Amino acid sequence: MEQTPKLAVVLLSSDLEKLHAGALMGSVAAMSGMTVYVFVSMDALEQFRNDVIADKRFKTGTVGPMLIEKEVPLYYDLIHQGIELGNLHLYACALAMDVMGWKKDELIEDVEEVIGVNQFFGLAEGAQIMTI
Amino acid sequence: MSQVAIDKTIDARGTYCPGPLMELIKTLKTAPLQSVIEVWSSDSGSSTDIPVWVKKAGHEFLYTIEENGYWRIAVRKAR
Repeated sequence: MEQTPKLAVVLLSSDLEKLHAGALMGSVAAMSGMTVYVFVSMDALEQFRNDVIADKRFKTGTVGPMLIEKEVPLYYDLIHQGIELGNLHLYACALAMDVMGWKKDELIEDVEEVIGVNQFFGLAEGAQIMTI
Repeated sequence: MSQVAIDKTIDARGTYCPGPLMELIKTLKTAPLQSVIEVWSSDSGSSTDIPVWVKKAGHEFLYTIEENGYWRIAVRKAR
């Protein structure tokens, strides 16, 4: 059986623009038939908390405020679309969760699992890895 | 200019990249084989990005026509 190409996106930054770019590429790849793993760690993880999204506590530079003003579907929407219509999986980094004392249910529902770096390497084996 | 009969039109004007492409992919998933879908996009990036995706995805790209302030992009579902 032919294996579908894989893409792994590592999100590390809390900048809205970077989250958006990574989510956009991941979701388009997933909807184009690739298997996509999005691994969220470090400062990026906070932006996947329910309270942060509900209160729109986004960290923006130049483009971000316009994304918000023009009501462009943001990173969490794009990832959701990738999950619904493609083969995208969203994971949270266990280290960052432990250090911050956060629980999985404090993150958006689309986070499938909290995983460590070895699990991520297992999933991402043979994948193109993009770190943002 | 084109003699192609359109089976379905998607009006994705007002959305930004990758909105029009997302709408096209959603429609292609359920459309019958060989049907022709036309996407309307006011986002200039999509007017060049969608044809690239269509070819890579193995569908048939028919045309991009620029209208007043938007593009009409037609695709035939090939697989």
